[in-house]
Amino acid sequence: MKESKYSKFFIFQIVLSLATVLAVILPIFLSRVPWPDLARNYLEHNGLRDSGARNLVSAIYLGYRAFDTLGETIVLLVAVSGTISIISHSGLSQAKGFGKGEIKKHTNNSISGFRRTELIDVVTGKLGPIVLIFGLYLMLFGHLSPGGGFQGGVVVASGIVFMALGSKTDSSTWLQETGALAKIEAAGFLFIVLASLSGIPGGFGFFGNPLSSSGASPVISIIVLNTIIGLKVGAGLGFMCIAMLGKVE
Amino acid sequence: MIEQILLIILFLIGFWGIIAKKNIIKKIFALSILNSSVLILYITEGSKIGTNAPIMEEGVKNVVDPVPQALMLTAIVIGVCITALALAIAFRLYRYTHTLDIDKIHRKLHDEPF
Repeated sequence: MKESKYSKFFIFQIVLSLATVLAVILPIFLSRVPWPDLARNYLEHNGLRDSGARNLVSAIYLGYRAFDTLGETIVLLVAVSGTISIISHSGLSQAKGFGKGEIKKHTNNSISGFRRTELIDVVTGKLGPIVLIFGLYLMLFGHLSPGGGFQGGVVVASGIVFMALGSKTDSSTWLQETGALAKIEAAGFLFIVLASLSGIPGGFGFFGNPLSSSGASPVISIIVLNTIIGLKVGAGLGFMCIAMLGKVE
Repeated sequence: MIEQILLIILFLIGFWGIIAKKNIIKKIFALSILNSSVLILYITEGSKIGTNAPIMEEGVKNVVDPVPQALMLTAIVIGVCITALALAIAFRLYRYTHTLDIDKIHRKLHDEPF
């Protein structure tokens, strides 16, 4: 960068604020307090028995602290709807189902021709379905191995983006009914709320596991929640990415 | 010790990018870097009391603390949301002002209010 771009006062300001931030975070980052192992010991002995999930992280975010996950999905829903509304009100996205942008399909291929090469065509088009299957695997086996709803959902979203990039037509109009993704997102949230209420009739409270007293393994609740969250996150993020892929006029 | 110092450097790089860079896309990148440094700090601190991944196969002992990992899962999702919203707002600013330079955006919005 050129020195002339910044004035002396600006550099002074930056150095001062960096020094201030350093003074604040230094004690936090360098703290020597030993990490408490109480929670770890409890989970190591009881986590598998309480929730049935071998993956203790899944046991926490869908079992002990499922309420947290509800808030997280609400944040994701709000962020997706905010992003979609900002993009579609800017009036540039040509993808179907984004309001103002629904105009002529194949006007000018210069930009999409510039984007698409043989490499993208071969790699993304063929890899997309495999990535989708891998995302489903992560979702369904999140209680046994590293993975889970959020990770699987993100992988599914990247599969959707891959298939959109590798499609023969314009990337934003590849999915004929983009609104279906929005419906999956909304339905996923509805099912999460229903699942959170399902323990109440049995007397287990909000987000209580209705299976914890019956003979069935309590892990079924975690598998169901993982799948719902995965579909919801995948649909929401895929929807957002397709909106962002919209062709620029 | 060395990882904490590297994380402080990562944090400061992110903060410097946010306050010193003129391009809003670079500011958003810097926000993401800053976010990552905090995530890695929690994961490294939580992994100090164990050696194995918290997946309770038979005979697995001495696992790392899974609580910060579950917390950071939340934080990662929030980070993705923040990045997406920030990019959408940057896109909209670009639509109105046809520039990504924060000073020029400021000047243009100041000159011609909506």
